[in-house]
Amino acid sequence: MPRKRVLYPNRQFPRPFSPNRRRFLQGTAAAMAGVALSNCRGNLANVQSSEPSSADGNAGGSASTDRLHIYTWANYTDDEMTSRFTEQTGIEVVVDIFESNEAMQAKLTAGGGDIYSIIYPSDYVVQEMVDLGLLAELDLSRISGLDNLLANWQDPLYDPGHAHSIPFSWGTSGLLYNKTVLTTPPTDWDYLWENQAELSRRITLLDDVRETLGAVLKSLGYSYNSEDPAEIEAAYNRLNELKPAIASFTTSGYEDALLGGDLLVVMAYSSDAAVVIEEDPNLEYIVPESGTSVWTDTVAIPTTAPNVDAAYQWLNFILEPEATAKSVENLFFATPNATAIDLLPDELKSNDDIFPPKEVVEKCEGIAPVEESAEELYDRYWTQITGA
Amino acid sequence: MSSSSSSSPSTTSVDRPKHLSLRFNRLSKRIIGPVLMLGPSGLWLLLLLVLPTLLIAEISLVPGLRPGEPQVGYGLGNYFRIFNPLDDAFNPVYVQVLWRSLFYATGTTLACLVMGFPAAYWLALMAPKRWRNLLLVVFVLPLWTSSLLRAFAWMSILRPTGLLNTFIGLLESVIQLVLPGVTLPTQGWLYTGTAVLIGLTYSFLPYMVLILYAALEKLDTNLLEASADLGATPQQTFWKVTVPQTLPGIAAASLLVFITSMGDFAVPTLLGGASSMTISRLIYQQFLGITRNWGLGSALSVILILAVSLAIALLLKYGDRNSVSET
Repeated sequence: MPRKRVLYPNRQFPRPFSPNRRRFLQGTAAAMAGVALSNCRGNLANVQSSEPSSADGNAGGSASTDRLHIYTWANYTDDEMTSRFTEQTGIEVVVDIFESNEAMQAKLTAGGGDIYSIIYPSDYVVQEMVDLGLLAELDLSRISGLDNLLANWQDPLYDPGHAHSIPFSWGTSGLLYNKTVLTTPPTDWDYLWENQAELSRRITLLDDVRETLGAVLKSLGYSYNSEDPAEIEAAYNRLNELKPAIASFTTSGYEDALLGGDLLVVMAYSSDAAVVIEEDPNLEYIVPESGTSVWTDTVAIPTTAPNVDAAYQWLNFILEPEATAKSVENLFFATPNATAIDLLPDELKSNDDIFPPKEVVEKCEGIAPVEESAEELYDRYWTQITGA
Repeated sequence: MSSSSSSSPSTTSVDRPKHLSLRFNRLSKRIIGPVLMLGPSGLWLLLLLVLPTLLIAEISLVPGLRPGEPQVGYGLGNYFRIFNPLDDAFNPVYVQVLWRSLFYATGTTLACLVMGFPAAYWLALMAPKRWRNLLLVVFVLPLWTSSLLRAFAWMSILRPTGLLNTFIGLLESVIQLVLPGVTLPTQGWLYTGTAVLIGLTYSFLPYMVLILYAALEKLDTNLLEASADLGATPQQTFWKVTVPQTLPGIAAASLLVFITSMGDFAVPTLLGGASSMTISRLIYQQFLGITRNWGLGSALSVILILAVSLAIALLLKYGDRNSVSET
């Protein structure tokens, strides 16, 4: 076997840097293992913060009387709005954003939420939070401007008599699509099932059990608030049929994919849709013919709120028609304040996406709390849909 | 002057406690030293890792705990719900999600091993020596950006109108100049398990390569020479000399990739869609998502912790600790 004799290649020329390099490598590898493991640990730490603790703890120490911490959805405040409030009252506003009612509620129950004087829960969690003692009862004598609200929000079902919340914004959920890509525009929920093959993995639905299963219930002719196990099961089965065509369940973050043509139809909230359509007029939002949900986001004061006086000042501020009209012009949310709507420019007033006409609203339902057994059923089917 | 006179009685007084101070020294060496040195990190681990884990274990024993609601009592309800088919609340979907997570983690590990071993082998034994450090840095480079950012990058590559399909389209039009009528298949991997596997493999390949490199660099090349001298074919040498020598490194790297990909949250959330729920996403859903059930979420966390602990125990037993945990 003709081979070069290199019996001791390493010994002849010692490698002076080798041990150092190896140590460096081991160090790097260990450091990265540490990073990776600390990621797992990060997850555990998150879980740790969920330790149940009583909600009625002491008020946050850092909050002073000239500062108001509010905890809200994205796009419900802007600098103009907060600086106007500061001008009027001399109170500085600090805004924190949450992305779901559940995350907001977890923060309030697990601790860390006691710096907030104002929170923005949605209608369906208002009752739940009241039951858990998280929302303070409102002293209506300190609030003015409630008469300006639209008739539907004078005495809302989710919170009779505005006992714990003031409606801030409302809207529908529907389908958002690109009209240059979809030749036959959708008119109803059934469109998704009928065109399942062409829309395959180009659809997203809301990551919300009551909205999404509710829409399927509605498409079957049932109510969003059905408590009948047979109806809920039928809705589950129908959603399961559509499942292979669904790209993902998401409430936000679909904008780029929709603008780029990667997604064809997206189930969206009207307020979000209005903002995206403003960016690209080729997009269109429809409220399905068989009806959809009407939602309300409210403003409330948590029981742990420091600086309650400032919180009432904020409530009165958001009920002021002029201030509200200006905010709507910037942020495109649908205010339930009738006087403010009158002050809006015609172009906004007649925007059906933001303010759907009366006959559309009449077909829609508000999502109400259901009895516990039905709620468990919804959760069970939702886990099955998203987990399988 | 005065100091010298006072010093003489002091030396006699020191004489007696000398045994004491010696004993004290020995004591400090045995107990105080280790306590001082291990104390801060031990306290840190105890407060921020052990206690939280115990709390999770406790919460996992409260069936159906929802945030803010009073605790009703202890029981194995959450675990029955996941594992016991005879339980009323049993739902096979949880086991299905666990299997899927295991599948993704195993697939990622195998893919990383198959791709990482040749790369590490080349880096350690064949690459020009002066370039090695630079090449290693190149391999580690992706880790300098956030894993979230890398997942988003894969989204823009894999989406239907993304980079990959654009490239396939270009290639197709070039081929059609020569062979008209030929069409290339385009991919639609985004929001599927394939995308999750691609993303996870991409994320953890550098770890695999680095650890395997450390193991292969220690390989005694004299043995390879000897094996060749004694008439073994290159394949025989590889399977009978190289692989057994680097087996601890392979085990360490594989287990590390397995552990981290099992618990990864960002990649399956962003690249996986409606049909690729993993255990980490499911846990998130139980705490901050729609179906809030902290008890069930904690039970799932405990299962994940146990699975990862088992893998770490295997790592300590069979892996090459020198290449991962030392230093």
